[in-house]
Amino acid sequence: MYSQDSDENEKRKALALERSSTPREYYARLRSVGATDGNEKPGAVQLVCRRDIEEALRTPELFSSVLVDTDIMGSVEPIIPLNVDPPEHVRYRRLLDPLFAPKHMAALQPAVLGHTNALIDSFIDRGSCDFSAELAVPLPCSTFLTLLGLPVDELSALVRWKDIMIRAETLVDNPDDAKQLQFDTAKDIYARFGAEMADRRTKPREDLITFLTTAEIEGSKLSDSEILRICFLLLAAGLDTVTISLQCIFAYLLEHPEARQMLIEKPGSENLLIEELLRWETPVQQLTRFPTRDIEIGGCPIRKGQEVQLALSSANVDPDGVPGADQVDVTRNDIRSLAFGGGPHRCLGSNLARMELRTVIRAWHDRIPEYAVAPGVTLQWNGSTLRGVDHMPLVFPAGGRA
Amino acid sequence: MKLSIDAERCQGHGRCFELAPDLIDADDLGRGEVLVEGEDVPDALIDAARSAVRACPEGAITLS
Ligand code: SF4
Repeated sequence: MYSQDSDENEKRKALALERSSTPREYYARLRSVGATDGNEKPGAVQLVCRRDIEEALRTPELFSSVLVDTDIMGSVEPIIPLNVDPPEHVRYRRLLDPLFAPKHMAALQPAVLGHTNALIDSFIDRGSCDFSAELAVPLPCSTFLTLLGLPVDELSALVRWKDIMIRAETLVDNPDDAKQLQFDTAKDIYARFGAEMADRRTKPREDLITFLTTAEIEGSKLSDSEILRICFLLLAAGLDTVTISLQCIFAYLLEHPEARQMLIEKPGSENLLIEELLRWETPVQQLTRFPTRDIEIGGCPIRKGQEVQLALSSANVDPDGVPGADQVDVTRNDIRSLAFGGGPHRCLGSNLARMELRTVIRAWHDRIPEYAVAPGVTLQWNGSTLRGVDHMPLVFPAGGRA
Repeated sequence: MKLSIDAERCQGHGRCFELAPDLIDADDLGRGEVLVEGEDVPDALIDAARSAVRACPEGAITLS
């Protein structure tokens, strides 16, 4: 019995590794078998066809985002707006969407460029760096601190917090300990943000926390709990997603010198390249939904409340959904991507993520046009549905551009 | 040909105003807003309009 369980576990681990290392082949295989897959997570069903996934994203009344019977990252109440359904969801989005609209992101860009250059300064003379630990991880964290109006010297504390909340299972061995650690940390985070809110109420500033403490929805102020659950979303959804996107894009660039050459020769070409690689690599591989009644998809019965994963990673490269989706072209401008999801829950931070990615990719190629994986190193995909490369040791001419 | 955006479908992915900035702008929520509502799209901008139509993840834009 026990060994059967551990066999199952090993099998799941192998599948997860395959999903993150060779996602296009992996999902092409699943799609050739059927519209659903039940192998990766016990009790859950995964949708793999573009059409079904689009349908699920656009039908929130049938595919709910409200968590059933599970708590997310030690947060007892639903995270806003991630785990809230329409119509309530719409009220929050109307408040938050303008904050993350392109105009606001443009105003934040100089600060992000400043953070990027400071991080590059810290390793450029060495001629080597771990792209993940020294740029892809800290950059979105610094951006988050700036956005919220928290001191940048809290960077290492923030990195630790988000690691616990997003991947506690990689920090401690026992799943129960991981849960407890998350629970305790969630309390710390709530306490910390609570103190910041109290501070902004007496001393308002130009930052997101101040905005949230004064904002009103239909004439009433947000409660402390609502504000905390919004901050929690930014922490949970805005950090690792940008980190892994940078890792996915650089992993591609390291293998495609012609794409690197284009970035060096044509400033601005990063915009279309980023869109295409977010689609092609799909760093956020899955979203989760819960059906509000019993349904059937592709002959597979799905129970009300059962966990359903929407494989964006598959939808984005499914040529039966969008012709040509199984080809990559970093200059194309004509293909629909679900990299930021779709429907009413479209990623709130998509414009922030784009701005961060553009800023880093431009600054890096202006300063360090020549780079390679450190000799003797093979990059390893992490096996997570937040698909990335945890260690990316790179080498380049010391000082960067000759 | 005229360009229009179905406001019910648009979710603010923001592809359209990047690809066709002369035809579409972002409103305060970051959603697409046609600048040439009801007008014929000039020939020189038809390609830009087509790529916006094809790139919109929600299929919210029509050119007809
Ligand atoms: S690309 Fe589509 S969804 Fe995005 S803003 Fe334009 S019309 Fe809206």
